[in-house]
Amino acid sequence: MYGETGDQMRTELAALLRQHRIVQRLGDPSATAASAVPDREAAGTVIQQYRQTILSWCAEAVMAAKPLVFSATLPSPTNPFKTSSEPHTAVGELARALHLARDASTSPRATTALLTTPSPNEVVEHWRQAARAAALAEHDTNGAAGARLTSPQAQALAGDVAAVTQALVVLDQRYLNIPGWERLAEPGRLGWAALATALDVSLGQPDYSVDNTGWRPRTHELRIGPQKGILGVLQAEHDLLVRLKSFPTAMNLRLIVDSQQRLSRRLALMVERTDAGRSGMWRARAASYSLLKQQLRDVGGRIGKGGPAVAEAANAVARLRALPTDTIIEPRVAAGFQTLFDGIDQRIPEIVHTGVDRGAYLHRLQVPRLVTDAGQLVSPVHERFMPLGRARGKDLLDATRRLVPSMEPTRAPPGRSRSALHSALLHRPETRRPDPGIPGL
Amino acid sequence: MDLEHALTLAQARSFVAALADAAVDDDASAAFERVLIELDWLHGDASPGLDTDGLSEDRDVLYVAATAAIESLALFGMDALDLELLLVRLEAARALDRP
Repeated sequence: MYGETGDQMRTELAALLRQHRIVQRLGDPSATAASAVPDREAAGTVIQQYRQTILSWCAEAVMAAKPLVFSATLPSPTNPFKTSSEPHTAVGELARALHLARDASTSPRATTALLTTPSPNEVVEHWRQAARAAALAEHDTNGAAGARLTSPQAQALAGDVAAVTQALVVLDQRYLNIPGWERLAEPGRLGWAALATALDVSLGQPDYSVDNTGWRPRTHELRIGPQKGILGVLQAEHDLLVRLKSFPTAMNLRLIVDSQQRLSRRLALMVERTDAGRSGMWRARAASYSLLKQQLRDVGGRIGKGGPAVAEAANAVARLRALPTDTIIEPRVAAGFQTLFDGIDQRIPEIVHTGVDRGAYLHRLQVPRLVTDAGQLVSPVHERFMPLGRARGKDLLDATRRLVPSMEPTRAPPGRSRSALHSALLHRPETRRPDPGIPGL
Repeated sequence: MDLEHALTLAQARSFVAALADAAVDDDASAAFERVLIELDWLHGDASPGLDTDGLSEDRDVLYVAATAAIESLALFGMDALDLELLLVRLEAARALDRP
């Protein structure tokens, strides 16, 4: 998740920005200046490889954000065939300068061995952690992850890249005395482009929910043993959501839908004392599942699995029924249920749509009644099931549309590491003031 | 499944579904739905479709008809204990349905 990798990158760079007298921090401090040069040069070489990794992430991330960042300072072009994001916008200039700096550097990117081997030196270790976070952040912002960014999220990402670039420029200036240090190409241009991008982004409304995007590890069921009380219900509901990854048969889907209707209805009663608004939402959810259950009565089909999901659904209902009706649900637990309900409400319509489209769910046909005027006793039975196409399953698909996850777009806070990096960029080292001494002495 | 078996099962399903639709509240309706799901479960989900056209709206009549239809399923080789358990569930749902 970009929130974690970006946060670590900014934290490590902020720590580096607060370090001064860098040359003394590299190599053995007790060694003489001449004997410490090889150590310092070696440390500088490693740091430049780490810097190249961070620079590569910056160059790629800004390219992911660039098409979605529209300059707030430039007026819209009168010619509709010209885009407002090209050329000479701040983010475009930053992308150009970053690519130039990355390509002009003779230092390679840090290898996996370098990224994963801790260093005893504090400065190098901070660089290693920052570069490691940058390498992991490629998962979160480049490729498919970058293609899902919204424009406000891209603005936030461009602002982050600008801040990281400014940190690299400041550190580049500070590390000039390291033996063999290679400067960034056009550092002045790079710094000003970063500053202009940060300014341009701040005039818009960046969305810091970008922190919630990116790669996430695969979710597993909770292997903590059955919990007691309401936490046991929460655990079973979580495991149900995990198990719903596999496609269930029509019968198992009916059982799962039934469990969700029961859970919502009972939990709505329990949560009424602590959160009346949520109680109303869960009642509405129970009604939606009731309607869906009604529409699934005549749906059959044996394709699929879903046995473990049904078992977890049964666990959730049984554990909830074992609770006294006056159980108080804390707001935090209620929020946990809401998150899980949102996931399930998103997954169930996906399952139904997939089942209808792939022909896994079928429509049950009625048995012909006795007919007395057709010259035969009963109409012959040709089929017992028919494919449930979009037209025949319209009522069912309409019922799934009532399951709307309650995920409301919330304004995510920018996070502490962003302000920490900004203050580290602006801070000045403490100067040694002469001891004023004691007056009169 | 014989045609007669299918007809009896369709009747049982239709009566239970009609009871679920006519239930006084959601709890009773959910209990009848559960009976319907278990009825389908016993038949390996090979049940015929519902045919609720022209059924009585009187819940007492529907309940008696549903009980009779489920009991009749024993004639087609269904396990008697399974059917008895189903009838117990139907009775429990009926108890919830009383205003």
